[in-house]
Amino acid sequence: MSDLFIRKATGLVRSWSVFDAFVYAFFSINFVTLGFYAFSQMYFFGGGMINALLVSAIFLIFEIIVYASLIAVMPRSGGDYVWMTRIFGGSIGFILSITGWWFTLWLWTPVYGDMLRQVVITPILGVLGMKDAALWFAGKGTPLFVSSLLALAFVSLVIFLGMKTYARIQKWSFYAGMLGLLIVIVLLFTGNPEKFKAGFESNSAALFGTQPGLYDATVAAGQAAGASTPLTGGSINLIFVTLPWLVFFNLWPNWGATLYGEVRGATDYKRNFSGMAWALGAVTLLGIVFFLGVNKTIGWDFYMQANGAWWNYYWGYVPDVSPLPVWPYPAMLAVFLTSNRLVQIIVMLLMSCWWFGWAGTLFLSSTRVIFAAAFDRLLPEKAAELNSSGTPVNAMLLMVIPAAFVSYLYAYDVGGFISITLAATQGIAIMYFGTAIAAIILPYKKKELFEASPIAQMKVAGIPLITVAGVVFAGFLGFLLVEWLFDPWLNTGGEGPGLYGISFKNTNSMIYLGVCYALSAAIYYGFKSYRKKGGIDLDKVQAEIPVE
Amino acid sequence: MTTIFFATDVHGSDICWSKFLNAGKFYNADRLILGGDMTGKAVVPFIHQGGQNYRVTLLEQVFNLTNEDELTDLKKRVRSRGYYPYMTTPDEIAELEKDPARVSKIFLQEVLKVVQQWMDLADKKLEGTDLKVYCSPGNDDMDEVDDIIRSSKRVMLMEGLVTQLDDDHEMITSGWSNQTPWQTHREENEDQLKVRYEAMTSQLKNPHTAIFNIHVPPYKSQLDEAPELDKDLRPVLAGNSMKPVGSTALRAAIEKVQPLLGLHGHIHEGRGSSRIGKTLCINPGSMYEQGTLLGAIVQLKKNKIENYVLTTG
Repeated sequence: MSDLFIRKATGLVRSWSVFDAFVYAFFSINFVTLGFYAFSQMYFFGGGMINALLVSAIFLIFEIIVYASLIAVMPRSGGDYVWMTRIFGGSIGFILSITGWWFTLWLWTPVYGDMLRQVVITPILGVLGMKDAALWFAGKGTPLFVSSLLALAFVSLVIFLGMKTYARIQKWSFYAGMLGLLIVIVLLFTGNPEKFKAGFESNSAALFGTQPGLYDATVAAGQAAGASTPLTGGSINLIFVTLPWLVFFNLWPNWGATLYGEVRGATDYKRNFSGMAWALGAVTLLGIVFFLGVNKTIGWDFYMQANGAWWNYYWGYVPDVSPLPVWPYPAMLAVFLTSNRLVQIIVMLLMSCWWFGWAGTLFLSSTRVIFAAAFDRLLPEKAAELNSSGTPVNAMLLMVIPAAFVSYLYAYDVGGFISITLAATQGIAIMYFGTAIAAIILPYKKKELFEASPIAQMKVAGIPLITVAGVVFAGFLGFLLVEWLFDPWLNTGGEGPGLYGISFKNTNSMIYLGVCYALSAAIYYGFKSYRKKGGIDLDKVQAEIPVE
Repeated sequence: MTTIFFATDVHGSDICWSKFLNAGKFYNADRLILGGDMTGKAVVPFIHQGGQNYRVTLLEQVFNLTNEDELTDLKKRVRSRGYYPYMTTPDEIAELEKDPARVSKIFLQEVLKVVQQWMDLADKKLEGTDLKVYCSPGNDDMDEVDDIIRSSKRVMLMEGLVTQLDDDHEMITSGWSNQTPWQTHREENEDQLKVRYEAMTSQLKNPHTAIFNIHVPPYKSQLDEAPELDKDLRPVLAGNSMKPVGSTALRAAIEKVQPLLGLHGHIHEGRGSSRIGKTLCINPGSMYEQGTLLGAIVQLKKNKIENYVLTTG
């Protein structure tokens, strides 16, 4: 029986494919770039990686509920910036989201650059027989800076091409990347430790000029680095201590979530939720399968030792380059199981699609938030200006120039800047925390809006689901923020950068965070005052007009 | 200086219409301009179940109403989203399912009823003020809407006219759009739009200080980015692929005439402002289903725009 009559009218689109939504969310929790990078740096923890993956996924389901709910209540509104601005008022929404979606992305640039060279440039140059170039790109300082500039050039190209083109590139990259990963997993599950050891020795020597005894040297260097993270097990406490680093990889299932169309009901909420939840579930399962494959053939302890050996050198704890003079990229280690160079080249090229299909969106949210702020007159109109070919040149410059500067600081480790990698996650997590609080209070502060929404009847024990999910997600984020700031290692008398490197004892991290928030606040209050002099009261512009 | 408040695409939302009428006082605006698409898109049946009981499905959530208070409350919620509540019975619903023409009649009847209520409200709320509403139905509005607007004392139908907005600024107005996948009431091809625009621009005494109040945004202005759809009207690639759908004829007219200001709507997700040459084009977007009135305040001086800002009311 009909419960609704709809006429032909503009914008009445049908639901999109859940599979498409899955693809984009799956790529956002990027297993190869974010995942491999995060796992490799997590060599010194006590909690089992599989356990940590599962526990984090449980908490991130609540993140997905929060974002799917906010999108259902306020679709097409522009995300965190608009949600927080509407629920809290102007200042908090602006300061948190400008810092989270704009300034923090500057710091992500050298991280993307590092992944570009580790996942794409170095291994491909290696299998193509360009040993010297591969080794140069693996080095400290200038190679990372160059790679960051290449990443910036690629991101700029994507903005120039537009999302219509890039969305298609992403989808093809998904298929190509998955094929590459499937081959890697098959290699891992069909190989054995002896074959790997032999292949590791011979291929490393051929590609990177390593000396015989590389395997044993790597084990020794890894042990000296304190590589200890187990595959499974660990107490609840040790597993939770692992999470603030692991979320660098999987905090992002909501990254590209959007909703279009009108007269959309609860089904669309469920589709949105499903796309993100399936992606989180699939990536978590993929992680477990991959870890088991690594354990079977490469050996879990060796994998962690290789990671420890590399990062112990790269972070400057030991002066000598690690025995394997490039990042131990797991896909490359897997193709060492074959000596067929063509297969190696094909797999490395396919695996590079994980970076190309993902990295282009680096500045997507930044550009959107810059535009939204410019339309709210909190930035000059020129910030949102397009050139004759429709490219937002000024918004790009507002991203590219500071990002290049931050990349310089990071690449050359100016004042220990490289230690603040996790601040890139922290800045966005703080913004998510604001969004989670907004979600908690939405049904009470914007009662009419909520009650006329497609999720009004979704309740747990009489409490709106969005509020319940918001409490759990905010609690999780609160835990992460406390752990990052009050590093448990440092607070038990430990020395060095601590577990996460971004505690209150890390001056660089505190200065970076402080400068970002101070800059946001200065922009907000400066423009507010400036506009007021010009006759525009920005508080009123955001205020609700009385209905009666 | 003249301050205008512009909003568009309120699509039947009672809340948005009330806010729009109050916006003049709230923002100290001298002129109120509504860009088009006043009418809603959905009729929600309230199916009588006997006694005081009704069964209603709103956004795929089922509400079983058992008393007058619940009925009133849900009707208000339905209206707040711009949909039309329709009191009916299971038997009538069964008949309507077989008779699309009758559904269209019900739509028209509900739409016109609400437009009439809105005109009455405007006459009442704006009485004793200098404020008038400049209005042009958009491509989603049925032709029958025009006569009701003409009957209003405070809301003026501006379609196809050149209006002297103040001493220094003329305004041309049209709610017609280029062709859409939905084959709506007021759409035509780009050549026809060109003729429509030229009929008005040729009458402008001072084109460079004019305002183009045209429902559809200009092509490739960034105000016209909408999700790319497949043949079944599904957003492709999960809505990640956006494409420009504005009018090329309008863009050409703006490039040629270079008016001071363009006021547009139509693409609800296209909120923003952009420049085409010297012309500032604005699309405030629409969030009518959330009861939020998106708008734009523009302060006009003789030969320039003194200031402007997009609002979220």
